[in-house]
Amino acid sequence: MGALVLVARLALRDLRRRRAEALILLIALAATTTTLALGRTVGGAADRPWERTRAATAGPDAVATSERAADLAALAHAPGVTASAGPYAMVSVDDLRVRDVRVAAVVQGRDGAGGPVDRPRLTSGTWARRGGVVVERAFATALKVRPGDALTIAGRRLTVAGVAVTAGRVPYPSSTPGLVWATRADLRRLGRPVTSHVMPLRLADPAAAPAFATAHRGVRTWQDMGAYATAELHLVDRALMVGTWALALLAVACVTVLVGGRLADQTRRVGLLKAVGATPRIVAAVLLAEYVVLAVAASAVGLVAGRAAAPLLARPSAGLIGGHRPGLTAGTAVLVLAVAVLVTGVATVVPAVRGTRMSTVRALAGPARAPRRSAGLIRLSARLPVPLLIGLRLAARRPRRSALALASLAVTAAMVVAAIALHGDIARKDAGATGPMFVPGAENPVTRQVNDVVLIMTLALLLLAAVNAVLIAWAGSVDARRPGALVRALGATPGQVTAGLSAAQLFPAALAGALGIPLGLVVYAGARAAAGVPGGNAIPYAWLPAVIPGTIVAVALLTALPARLSGRRPIAEALRAE
Amino acid sequence: MQDVVLALLAKEPSHGYELRARLQEALGPMGDALNAGQVYVTLTRLEKAGLVTAEHVGQAHRPDRKVYALTAEGRERVGAWLTDLTWGRPSEFHLKLVAAAAARLADPVDLVEAQRGELLRRLADVQRAALNEPDGSAAALLIEGVTLRLEADLRWLDACARYWERKG
Amino acid sequence: MVTLRARGLRKEYGRGTGLVRAVDHVDLDVEAGETVAVVGPSGCGKSTLLHLLGGLERPTGGELWLDDRRIDRMSETELARLRRHAIGFVFQAFELVDELTARENVELPALLAGVSPRVARRHAAALLERVGLAERAAHLPAALSGGQRQRVAVARALIGRPRIVLADEPTGNLDSAATTEVLRLFAALRAEGQTLLLVTHDARVAATADRVITMRDGALVGRTNLTGAGGGLGAFAGLEG
Repeated sequence: MGALVLVARLALRDLRRRRAEALILLIALAATTTTLALGRTVGGAADRPWERTRAATAGPDAVATSERAADLAALAHAPGVTASAGPYAMVSVDDLRVRDVRVAAVVQGRDGAGGPVDRPRLTSGTWARRGGVVVERAFATALKVRPGDALTIAGRRLTVAGVAVTAGRVPYPSSTPGLVWATRADLRRLGRPVTSHVMPLRLADPAAAPAFATAHRGVRTWQDMGAYATAELHLVDRALMVGTWALALLAVACVTVLVGGRLADQTRRVGLLKAVGATPRIVAAVLLAEYVVLAVAASAVGLVAGRAAAPLLARPSAGLIGGHRPGLTAGTAVLVLAVAVLVTGVATVVPAVRGTRMSTVRALAGPARAPRRSAGLIRLSARLPVPLLIGLRLAARRPRRSALALASLAVTAAMVVAAIALHGDIARKDAGATGPMFVPGAENPVTRQVNDVVLIMTLALLLLAAVNAVLIAWAGSVDARRPGALVRALGATPGQVTAGLSAAQLFPAALAGALGIPLGLVVYAGARAAAGVPGGNAIPYAWLPAVIPGTIVAVALLTALPARLSGRRPIAEALRAE
Repeated sequence: MQDVVLALLAKEPSHGYELRARLQEALGPMGDALNAGQVYVTLTRLEKAGLVTAEHVGQAHRPDRKVYALTAEGRERVGAWLTDLTWGRPSEFHLKLVAAAAARLADPVDLVEAQRGELLRRLADVQRAALNEPDGSAAALLIEGVTLRLEADLRWLDACARYWERKG
Repeated sequence: MVTLRARGLRKEYGRGTGLVRAVDHVDLDVEAGETVAVVGPSGCGKSTLLHLLGGLERPTGGELWLDDRRIDRMSETELARLRRHAIGFVFQAFELVDELTARENVELPALLAGVSPRVARRHAAALLERVGLAERAAHLPAALSGGQRQRVAVARALIGRPRIVLADEPTGNLDSAATTEVLRLFAALRAEGQTLLLVTHDARVAATADRVITMRDGALVGRTNLTGAGGGLGAFAGLEG
């Protein structure tokens, strides 16, 4: 019990003494937990709008389409089919006009919204009567029409009587052209040939719909339509998943740098604790306790922020019935907490154990690091200009930290590459979404949502990577204080030392940029495969190498300040400080 | 011993008992070995050499006693002794400083500095020899001994300088 | 000819009642080719004085000249350039770069000064030969004894052919035998006319100088000339007594 009090006291005192550090850690961890909570919430909610819409509109288990109504009539009596509606005649037109907009549409002839299967639910207005049409909601949103508005189809003036959602067809623009319902009489009055007939079906076993679909031609299952209807949500979910992983890795790097830097600072304190009789276990417990406190706090922040942001980032298509805001399950909360603790644990355990295992006397004597040496590196660096030489040697002195900087930057670069690749695909998709099938000038809600999410994730990643870069540069400059002062005593200018410190960060940066490109492409391909989304044809490969100089310039700018501050410290002060 | 007694007389004429008391005060426990006879024997020798004069002074209730004073020759000898940089035992140099301070003949700190300079010069000579001597020779061992003693003496002189600086 | 000249040199830390005069109006001339030792108890300000003289620290007041150049007002960059060619440093704790070999350590200042690697390598090899460590050139500092490390550090201080070498307690971390090793090197440098300024509390080190200056509480309080020494050694062996 006494030990517990001691651990808690030491941990809290230390956190209070190092508020800035605690805040940085909290931000890093909260970015991870927020993304994770968001991903879980959105992913869990992705299928619900389709389910809800199906339930509210007696959505069909399968929809059969054929050019001839007679074929469909036979299908109504096929084994496994328990109910059917229609068949309804469909007329494709290329001249739905409203205001100055002209777009293609498909008009379904139907005298009422009733029937045993597929009962479109009106969200405003009334069902189509003579001279009036009902517009599918996502299509209506893109067209910006409301009940009472006028439009013409095939030159005939009609009025919008209502707006409805259906589970009988994937909403616009995931399927094109957009859907309009008219009375059968009005459909005939359009004077255009019937393009096809559709018949919504109710099956005895909805789960067996795919088998039914393979057995009969022209049948599309509810599962398949659902996947298309909620594709954007799944893509958002996938982007959040990948982003969570990337952020978690960066958070691990961030925590590791902070913990490692602190331990170097605190080796003496650890030695002191041990000298007065604290067991290695207590010393490790103090360090772990500090970070667990932060992890719990970050989990709370993440859960609240994730829940608040979920409805903003993940809006189901207007063609589906949205529900309440996605809920937060106990499972999500536990998972978020576990990940936060795991991230801090992974980053803390190794340095903490290393610190506590060190013999008390050695710890009291101050940090001592065995020199490392790579003959090849040294030989190479002998031919480099002085700042690079200093930098390379500083980088070689702390290989683990250099590796950490490399990992952090590589993950960020990879994510930026993935984002660029995704953006390329989306831009092409948007470019392809102009044509007679699409409402001109109306933005694509699917791609916009994905773009938003990716943009926010990328910004979060860049922020965290920037924090990491500054932290690593700062830790490096603390390390380099003494060697830096020494080389200045030997005649290096402050400028050379500053440049050297920056260079030490730039080697990992260059390598990270180079590694990030293939890594990002692999991640993007993997994410697409997992979400079942096609693409990858419009990646702007020519632009990707720019990631390397971009990374280097960004890191140079970020690390210049700590390096410069360190390079200008009075030499004698740094030489004395040990 | 003769020089010490002479220097103590430089402050003011004094008699044997007083001289012994002042010696014992300066030497502390190290002065226990100093027996009464030694001081008187020394005074007698100095008197014979013409460095001090003795005068009988009557006392009311006790027998007469001799009060010793420096002659001009004696004064000269004290001056020579103070500037002499020969290095003997620590107790002798210590008494030199005590006497010089008491009689205001010289600033003890200056004496210490002068002596330190001398010892440093000697150490320099020894060092020169040491650096020329091949490692491991028998002479090198001797030189090391001399060096260590000189180093110890120099450290003690530092202590002397600090003490007399505070006093002054 | 005076190589290093200080006039009224001061260094103060803190302010008000907490003011500490680490170096208090020091006047000092170091002649070309001379070896000067500054001695004094620890905390007397002698290390600070050395740092000031080498431009590692900025004086609070006073003037400092190296040859004919006033250096107390130089910028950090100018001072760095000056150190490359005019000032060599030797530290108590050697301050060798652990992951570089002896020769690479010696090369370091030359490379900083922009000397070509080939020339730097040749100079470094010659200097290691000069300090008697030619066969140890490829060793890492960890594989060298204390005396050898300090000799490497001296070689490093010499590679820029400095006007003056400043040594801060060069034998502070060494045992007696290693001290002899390093003092032999200093004696040889002195014989070659290298200007040296040693800060030490070790009388043996001070005894190798031409002049010994005593420092106390930030001020120079005593000066002893050792050039006149050479009175024979018999007295110390007790042969005359």
